[in-house]
Amino acid sequence: MTKTILAVDDSGSLRQMVVFSLKAAGYQVTEAVDGQDGLEKAKQRTFDLVLTDQNMPRMDGLALIRALRKLSNYQGVPILMLTTESSDDMKAKGRAAGANGWLVKPFDPQRLTEVVKKVIG
Amino acid sequence: MTTKKLLSLQLKRLLSSVAEHGHQHLGQIEADLIQTNFLLAEAIRKLNAGFMAMHTSICLQQEIVTMLLTETADDGRYAARLDAVSAEMGAHVNAAVTSLQFEDMTSQLIGRALQRIAGLDKVLETLGAGSSGMRAETGIEDIVARLSDVNRLLEQQSGKLESDLWKAVCQTHMESGDIELF
Repeated sequence: MTKTILAVDDSGSLRQMVVFSLKAAGYQVTEAVDGQDGLEKAKQRTFDLVLTDQNMPRMDGLALIRALRKLSNYQGVPILMLTTESSDDMKAKGRAAGANGWLVKPFDPQRLTEVVKKVIG
Repeated sequence: MTTKKLLSLQLKRLLSSVAEHGHQHLGQIEADLIQTNFLLAEAIRKLNAGFMAMHTSICLQQEIVTMLLTETADDGRYAARLDAVSAEMGAHVNAAVTSLQFEDMTSQLIGRALQRIAGLDKVLETLGAGSSGMRAETGIEDIVARLSDVNRLLEQQSGKLESDLWKAVCQTHMESGDIELF
């Protein structure tokens, strides 16, 4: 069965690159324009993986992760941050919020696909 | 402290505050624009190179396909060459996708610079508002009080502006970033 990914980022061009890269690898990707949109879409169905930016309007990545971890069906779903942030302090906050990994932008499509494959197969 | 000394103090505080905060914020705007310039220049350079490389690969693919169509015997060499060229194309496309992400980073930097400019504009508005209603006859105590209010507002505005503008983009190159699984 095709694995599903929720890609959350307020940048349309970035979402386009993520969809392009992961669709080519056989994943089904749903886009969300910010944390609030991501949370609403996540509540409608359980994705196999959530890939989220940090700095977004309405709800940032950390707030989204904390909200998702409160949902019973998202306790075990891998959540990866894909962000320009690279400080150890932010990574620690991400980890504490419930993120399973941290990817610093810009991403290479092949490396992104490899890490997604490693996490959800 | 005498009123004259208070006036002197408040005026000095105002002048140095405007100079210091203005200098600091303009310096940050300059730094963000320089960083934006670096990222743009590198992205464009890489995209240029990428598109040239893709064009070369496409031409090579076409040559191989033409040879495949015209040759009667095929020992599998052409298929192997096509596979190799396809793999090369894939690498060029990946490099282009990485470079195209400049838009996300540069728009964050430009957004930050614009917010800072708007914040500085607000500071100037505060200065202007501080002088409204002042006349030649305005008493020194009144002037001291106004200057004190303006100084307080400027400190608050400048501090808020600095705390609201977290520097999220530190990249100075368009190389793909680190990946860490917890």
